[in-house]
Amino acid sequence: MTIAENSSKGGLLARSRIARREQINGWMFIMPALVLVGIFMIYPILWSLWMSFQVGRGMNLSFGGLSNIIRLTQDPILLRALFNTGIFLVVQVPIMLTLALIFASALNNPKLIGRGFFRTAIFLPCVTSLVAYSVLFKSMFAEDGVINAFLMWAHIIADPIPWLLDPFWARIVIISAITWRWTGYNMIFYLAALQNIDRSIYEAARIDGVPAWAQFLYITVPLLKPVILFTSVISTIGTLQLFDEIMNITNGGNPADSTLTLSVYIYNLTFRFMPSFGYAATVSYVIVIIVAILSYVQFLVARDRRA
Amino acid sequence: MTDSTSTLAASAARRTGGNMNWLRHVKSAFAYALLALAAFVSIFPFFWMIVGATNTSAQISTGKASFGDQLLINIANFLDQVDVVRITINSLIIAGAGTVATLLVTSLAGYAFEIFRSKFRERIFAAMLLMLSIPFAALMIPLFVMMSRFGLINTYQAVILPTVAWIFMIFYFRQATKAFPTELRDAAKIDGLKEWQIFAYVYFPVMRSTYAAAAIIAFMQHWNNYLWPLIVLQTNDMMTVTLVVATLNSAYTPDFGVIMVSAIFATLPTLIIFFVLQRLFVQGLLGSVK
Amino acid sequence: MPKLSKGWRRSLGVAVSSVSMLAVTSALAETVTVWCWDPNFNGATMEEAAARFQAANPDFDLEVVIFEREGLEQKLQTQLASGVMDGLPDIVLIEDYSAQKFLLSYPGAFEPLGNHIDMSKFAQYKVDIASVDGTAYSLPFDSGVTGWFYRTDILAEAGYSHEDLVDITWDEVLEMAETVYETTGVQLMSVGVDSATATRPMMQGAGSWYFDADGNPNLVGNPAFAASVETYGELLRSEAIDKSNGWNDYTGAFLSGEVASVVSGVWMTATVKSNQDLAGNWGVAPVPRLDLEGAVNASNTGGSSWYVLSSAPQKDLAIEFLDTIWGGDIDFYQKILVDQGAFGSLLAAREGPAFQASDDFFGGQPVWANFSTWMSEIPGVNYGIFSYEADNAIQASIPDLTDGSKPTEQIVEDINNQVNQLVM
Repeated sequence: MTIAENSSKGGLLARSRIARREQINGWMFIMPALVLVGIFMIYPILWSLWMSFQVGRGMNLSFGGLSNIIRLTQDPILLRALFNTGIFLVVQVPIMLTLALIFASALNNPKLIGRGFFRTAIFLPCVTSLVAYSVLFKSMFAEDGVINAFLMWAHIIADPIPWLLDPFWARIVIISAITWRWTGYNMIFYLAALQNIDRSIYEAARIDGVPAWAQFLYITVPLLKPVILFTSVISTIGTLQLFDEIMNITNGGNPADSTLTLSVYIYNLTFRFMPSFGYAATVSYVIVIIVAILSYVQFLVARDRRA
Repeated sequence: MTDSTSTLAASAARRTGGNMNWLRHVKSAFAYALLALAAFVSIFPFFWMIVGATNTSAQISTGKASFGDQLLINIANFLDQVDVVRITINSLIIAGAGTVATLLVTSLAGYAFEIFRSKFRERIFAAMLLMLSIPFAALMIPLFVMMSRFGLINTYQAVILPTVAWIFMIFYFRQATKAFPTELRDAAKIDGLKEWQIFAYVYFPVMRSTYAAAAIIAFMQHWNNYLWPLIVLQTNDMMTVTLVVATLNSAYTPDFGVIMVSAIFATLPTLIIFFVLQRLFVQGLLGSVK
Repeated sequence: MPKLSKGWRRSLGVAVSSVSMLAVTSALAETVTVWCWDPNFNGATMEEAAARFQAANPDFDLEVVIFEREGLEQKLQTQLASGVMDGLPDIVLIEDYSAQKFLLSYPGAFEPLGNHIDMSKFAQYKVDIASVDGTAYSLPFDSGVTGWFYRTDILAEAGYSHEDLVDITWDEVLEMAETVYETTGVQLMSVGVDSATATRPMMQGAGSWYFDADGNPNLVGNPAFAASVETYGELLRSEAIDKSNGWNDYTGAFLSGEVASVVSGVWMTATVKSNQDLAGNWGVAPVPRLDLEGAVNASNTGGSSWYVLSSAPQKDLAIEFLDTIWGGDIDFYQKILVDQGAFGSLLAAREGPAFQASDDFFGGQPVWANFSTWMSEIPGVNYGIFSYEADNAIQASIPDLTDGSKPTEQIVEDINNQVNQLVM
């Protein structure tokens, strides 16, 4: 309707001017975002980059050259944080994305009764407020909490599992918590993409006798590659910045630093310990470098498979 | 569209014949069981939260899992301890204005990154991905210095501004724009619309479901934001719901009944918005990832 | 559609302009601002203090702003580090363990209250905690004097009375725990794996700390530290001791009767009393001590103090207020003891009636008078600036401590290495 209204105003533009105009428009449209990112990201980033070469306690700072980078290489806590973050990344992200993909394909069946209900239910966890979520998970996974009560009632275990007291189980709790909160979020992305796939492809496959698992593996997954890439980049960044769950469910990395992550370590260096802002900034750039490498690898993998 | 696909699927089912039926039944029973389990696991903590709100603090800490009669008392205590009206208004202003501003800025950028491509802008886009990966804790101190130079400490603007150009949202809108039919843009151009007119009168209405989805996600983000508001807000009349709920949980003698009520209260607005917009939301994400 | 986008723009405009109206903060002439974290505890005591000061100074007004405990520290730290003073309060509450970290990281940020207020009125160990080079910076608030809260009914069932709990060592406690667990099936107490709530008071009771008076690590070759680590390991390994993660788990354990006692600061009294169903079944004994020369059955855990910021707009008024009420109103201390269970550090306040009263919840024991006695016995130590780093290193050794096969000397060595790595 608006197109019709405005059509009388328009005149044809010369072809050569279109390209230039597109350039100008391209910049104009991203200008508000660029200005805001420039002010609120670039300046703080440059500041933290400068900070990463400073040493000292609190604000009593002096230039330390590369001493923060040398400290990185001799830091056993950093190693623990890297190890834990790595475990969460390698174990949790694939589990979550696979689950999301499975739920999405199950919900993609238009004949499924109660689709709306299931979709809403599985999406619900990601709208909860953080405080609610952490209080609930802590109480549910307490030694005398409802999870142990259920497992014992079902005779799956004989003695209560010390969920939050044992390094192994504490990691399981964190993995469960993140999976609980974000699977639905990722599922919605897949569901959306699935609904865009032409149903006739599956039709043809079924008639040719391709079993369901093969359809999933050889039709669904390849067609969803861009979304899978998108969600895995976002989830990777999310896991590398994993903070809220650790602070609130395992009180900042307990037991014995078994759930300590890079982000929590940065927080400790800034606020809990004697503040060393310089070193904290240096550790932040470790995350940036990891993301840079992983994103590059992920894009390479995606490109290779496509070729 | 759902109608046409379901008839297609139905006819397909008819064609494949009857001897496979029992197998299909087993399979669909399995799918239902899986989804029911997932739904149960997802909803259970909500149930737990509601049960908690009806019990006393002592009952909650002793693990009582049945409904009690303390709901009204807990609500009364919550209202007594917290200036609900004030903090709700603050949170709504921050989340509301923040969401509108975020959608405007990030959709413009996401649209432009996809539609007007240039090598240089692609580089900027890639650099943004790296910026997204810097932990916020590393940027807080310089941001605070900046806000104070702008004279914005303890204002809504200070809370909202740093998250307006939310890089994740720019990514999301770029993804969504891939599904925006180029024919529409071409037609609009032939009709002589300027670029901003195409964006406002063609792109925006066509993509309004994408906007609905983005609105929910952005609202969630602004509403639940904790760290940054904690740092820049200074006085009682500026407190947000999320900040106040956190203080209840840090008392030496926490009242879990009140905490549960506050948790429900803090979750409600996002829930309501989700329920209201969810039809559009699902369609919105639908368009986003073609 | 154009209509909608115009409406959109208008509402955005309204939002932005209403925002700038509200941005002007109310900075009334006589308003003193306080930041603290618990509305029912330290916040409530400040409100009470303000009401009393107001009676004599009608123009005086006090605004208490509550933040989440750790959040407040974070906020203060960000602001001090950025060097921005606008919007900082006049008075702020800081935990004793963090005192030196703030005072040494941000020299000049806090007003040396010792120059304005006579500090000899307060418990000396509290004054020392917030002193740098002999200058006191804080107005001491609540004491963290420790006590051993125990369930009289459960311990009686196991054959123990109050006398059996008085003046004993941690080794005896471990034996007692076995007996209680065997006879009643209840674990004696809960030990946290998340913070050093166990080792800190043990060490201080023995007159020692992670760091010496100069703030250098004092771990290897420190018998008090080795004994604390060893005892902590024994507690972790004992079947008769519950393990808890986090505050809620810890308090829930004794509130629900899952464990029979808790060793904690006097500020835990209000939490213990929050389950009124158990009134009359609780008692308080002095804390156990390490089996070492010079160790006493008195210690400290937690506690916090008020600080005035040097940049505060109402600095003089804030100091006058603190000195008048917190430094002199004996009645006020009785009131906050009864209403909030806040155990202040003003020495003269202990002679007041509330401090002498007995409590039926604790079977008629004169609990406050007992805490006063123990408080005077607390060995003073220098908490230094790296206590969290040391806690963190102990926590990292928990797997070894739980396993029990590694010799204590080796574990102490590991802890020392990690602390030295962080202390730079």
